[in-house]
Amino acid sequence: MTDVSLHAEALHDHHGPPEANQSSRVDARTLGMLLFIGSEIMLFGSFFAAYFFVRVVNPSAPPEWPPEGYHFPVFVAGVNTAILVTSSFTMHWALQSIKRGQRAGFLAGMVLTFVMGLAFLLTQVVEYVNVGFNTGDGAFASVFFGLTGLHGAHVAIGLSLLGMVIIRGFRGHFSPEHHHGVELPGIYWHFVDVMWIVVYATVYLL
Amino acid sequence: MTPSHHGTPQAEYPAHFEPPHGPTWRLLFGPGLVRGGWMAGAGFVFGMLLVLALRWWWSWDPYWNTEVILAVAGMVTAPIGFLAGIGSFDYWLHYISGRPTRPEDHSGHGARSWKDYFRVNTDHKVIGIQYLVTTFVFFTIGGLMAMFFRAELAQPGLQFVDSQTFNGLVSVHATLMIFLFVIPAFAGLANFAVPLMLGAPDMAFPRLNALSFWLLPIAGIMFVASFLAPGGAFGAGWTGYAPLAEGQPLGQTFFNMGVQWAGASSIMTALNFLVTIITMRAPGMTFWRMPLLVWANFTTSLLVVIATPFIAGSQFFVMFDRIMHTSFFTPEGGGYVLGYQHIFWFYSHPAVYIMMLPGFGIVSEVISSMSRKPIFGYRLMALSLMGILVLGFSVWAHHMFVAGMADWLRVPMMITTLLIAIPTGIKVFSWVATLWRGRIHLTTPMLFALGFVTMFVIGGLSGIYLGSVPIDIAASDTYFIVAHIHYVLFGGSVFTIFAGIYYWFPKMTGRMYSERLGKWHFWLTFVSFNATFFPMHYVGLRGMPRRVFDYDSAFGDLNFAISIASFVLGASFIVFVYNMITSWVRGPIAEANPWRARTLEWQVSSPPPIFNFDEIPQVVGGPYEYGVPGARHAIMSPSKEAQEVHA
Amino acid sequence: MRKGIVQLVAIGVVIGVLVTLVAVLFQWLPTSASEEFDRIQDIYWFATWISIVIFAVVGAVVVYSVWKWRVPLDDDMDGPPIHGHTGLEIAWTAVPAILVIAIGIVSAVVMSQNGRAGNRPLEVNAIGQQFTWKFVYSDYDDLTSGELVLPVGREARFTMTAVDVIHSFWVPNFGQKQDAVPGIETTILVTPNRTGEFEVVCTELCGLGHATMRAKARVVSQAEFDRWVQEKRA
Repeated sequence: MTDVSLHAEALHDHHGPPEANQSSRVDARTLGMLLFIGSEIMLFGSFFAAYFFVRVVNPSAPPEWPPEGYHFPVFVAGVNTAILVTSSFTMHWALQSIKRGQRAGFLAGMVLTFVMGLAFLLTQVVEYVNVGFNTGDGAFASVFFGLTGLHGAHVAIGLSLLGMVIIRGFRGHFSPEHHHGVELPGIYWHFVDVMWIVVYATVYLL
Repeated sequence: MTPSHHGTPQAEYPAHFEPPHGPTWRLLFGPGLVRGGWMAGAGFVFGMLLVLALRWWWSWDPYWNTEVILAVAGMVTAPIGFLAGIGSFDYWLHYISGRPTRPEDHSGHGARSWKDYFRVNTDHKVIGIQYLVTTFVFFTIGGLMAMFFRAELAQPGLQFVDSQTFNGLVSVHATLMIFLFVIPAFAGLANFAVPLMLGAPDMAFPRLNALSFWLLPIAGIMFVASFLAPGGAFGAGWTGYAPLAEGQPLGQTFFNMGVQWAGASSIMTALNFLVTIITMRAPGMTFWRMPLLVWANFTTSLLVVIATPFIAGSQFFVMFDRIMHTSFFTPEGGGYVLGYQHIFWFYSHPAVYIMMLPGFGIVSEVISSMSRKPIFGYRLMALSLMGILVLGFSVWAHHMFVAGMADWLRVPMMITTLLIAIPTGIKVFSWVATLWRGRIHLTTPMLFALGFVTMFVIGGLSGIYLGSVPIDIAASDTYFIVAHIHYVLFGGSVFTIFAGIYYWFPKMTGRMYSERLGKWHFWLTFVSFNATFFPMHYVGLRGMPRRVFDYDSAFGDLNFAISIASFVLGASFIVFVYNMITSWVRGPIAEANPWRARTLEWQVSSPPPIFNFDEIPQVVGGPYEYGVPGARHAIMSPSKEAQEVHA
Repeated sequence: MRKGIVQLVAIGVVIGVLVTLVAVLFQWLPTSASEEFDRIQDIYWFATWISIVIFAVVGAVVVYSVWKWRVPLDDDMDGPPIHGHTGLEIAWTAVPAILVIAIGIVSAVVMSQNGRAGNRPLEVNAIGQQFTWKFVYSDYDDLTSGELVLPVGREARFTMTAVDVIHSFWVPNFGQKQDAVPGIETTILVTPNRTGEFEVVCTELCGLGHATMRAKARVVSQAEFDRWVQEKRA
């Protein structure tokens, strides 16, 4: 095929696809994010299952939990929880601001959310360094690092998403009509926050 | 979407990529397999340096740890480099950096030459064919491995390979067949057919679809490459039980990581299907007017999204135990050995439904159109798929009846396992009732569909035996299980994959396959399949365990016969490949609707236009209304028909 | 129509007879050497008769349909628009439900019988390790043996574990099997009711030597068992 005919054919083809029918009131991208979060919840589920087996099902599980000799900072983690929960509020504030066209509030909210998320993660790293036990120190340590580590990885993913929103936000991409790109990372961030509450309760409190 | 007008010959490049300078520059730095290659290397180096740097910073001696470096650099950063190199992230990186969006020129969409199949392509039809060809390559590799170990098993004792290689062959064979053949082949067929059947121009997330495909060869290469690892391929079976998996040499890590890539591919595809089926159906297509293939992929996708993360978790734990010395499954550290099996099987049981439900959908399409009758009991067929979905999550511990788990768990699991026979039985009886008084066209797809029905009944019945705990106690972990597996997965899933490929071959390629060769393929396969796997029920019950290279000499004659039959089965595949290749290259041109079927994909040309439809069709009835005078499934050009009415 | 039904039933009977011949002419099951396996074999036959009927029904309808209603590939006509039949659909939901429930009940009964230890079973500890079995008789001062010897007619309770990876204890003629798992203890009951020489086979992939991990099992008279115990202790 010569260049000319390829070119002509290319022009002819590029009338583009017909607009797909919307057969549901649910927006496709939101549904996609919700389903993704569903699979993430199941991934956490497998880690909770491991915790359950090690602590409850195992016939030779230690009677006290945390077992003799292990301590972890319930208070510091509690403060961290407060930080993360607050960051969900600032995220919500950011979304509400852009819906109302208040760019300053939107950007401030996003940056605050990011900073608090980062603070959470750094606190967790410091906690890991000072907790007094390592991954190789038995099943209790395994599920501790497993659950909190999995969650920390998801905070990192969330921070990446928030970072993308901030970059695009500073470049003027969002408006009261177009803010899907804020809403969906926001949903993910709320998931990360709620999941932390479950992880915190399971690992530190129960 | 605004069409772009460009007079420059940049049609091969996606709009978001700045066209580079000369052809050499484009080859090296433009998105494609060459750039994918060197960026994979760069990714490996980056990962290696990252690991070394962190280990030095944390003073973890020795700094060089082959397993950790391979796991991170070889199995995480190198594949990411490859994916970046072929261009799967290009659009998103441009998007998230906040640069202005470029109008879509659809140059990344559709196949105009064979080269389009080797790059990141957003067209679901192209992706579907990419999946099918890739999965059949791995089917061939996995099948050759089977020939190899069947040669070894033809006589008692070790003749050709050592024990580690034998264990590696059976493990990699199964792993490839499950993760690189059955599951993604169904995804490929569905990728091609489902958007067309729905009256949609493509899937909901075409770029995600493209990425899903490219994750697959990464996983396959990882599994096969494990043979090169020091100590040999992973040899703990495709089930990879701890603690055996935790003491295996380096090759086991290839399994742990390969499963993650395959799982990610699977989940992304499933997500795409769910959003597409829920939000992009043509007007008038209610759920009760969807073809059963769509129902089947809908339920399968739900299974994938919910269950697959559990196998990811199970492999993470084994990797953590191996590399970070955690104690998830090591009793010395307080771990619980059976925890692995519960977590693993919570995915792997639904996995067998993931490997069968799309096949059920295919068989419904084939039997209906080849009998020229509506599917008998359509609603119950759809509901039984949902029933299998729900029940499928409640039976996992039937793989653990002899594992030493809590006694009380066995009875509920037995009950749910036996109950799942009911929706499955409903389907078998409905297909058979669809045949009744039909006008039966014994084409190759129909032969495979009928072969499926009979063989799957045998596999399902052996499953009933295994659902009974006392019988399972006697038969578990023997060749009876191997027989059951292959009756449902080969006589079941693979037969339906063949049926689907023959059925949609004219639609995908625009040419017709050779019916004569197709029939030869079917009968050779059907006879040699039974000759290979039926005797396995016998040797299993009589005392031959599975995953062994040596066995009691009393089983020698039968094993020899089984091996010969398996070579014939392998040879029958050559007939299929020859048919596919010659027909695709120079088969007779196919019409748009050679089967005179009623679903939407048959109402467009073969192959379909690049964007599927000029106009989204208007669905006005069910998809199987054969024999109903005046019944229509859809109006293909609603605006034109409306004009004609008003004229 | 009646002629058709007769032909259909005839095909079904032919298939059923052929499958029955396959089921009875070959000895699918090893000779049972335990009470537990006797009970298991009963369920096996129950399931087999049900399976033969189901396969014959499905096979007959497929064969009959293809025989009666096959048309050339270029035939253009549609078949009759039969969408379903509520009565039939209810029937083929209810009948399989009844059949599987029956299998379930029979199995649960056997499970309970096979799992109920009588009084004073012979206690044997089976320990699996790569790639050998060790049997410890705790009733006899922890007498250790690489060979499993059991007295006929006396229930034996195996308490099992493994020292390295998962193994699985199976004697095909006993019909009973259970994994030996590191870190926990598993149990299985065997009441041998026939003397003879058998084999202990490992049925869980345990590494390089899995295929060769076997041991001898002997079921002997009580007197001979006592003699063996004495000799081992000496």
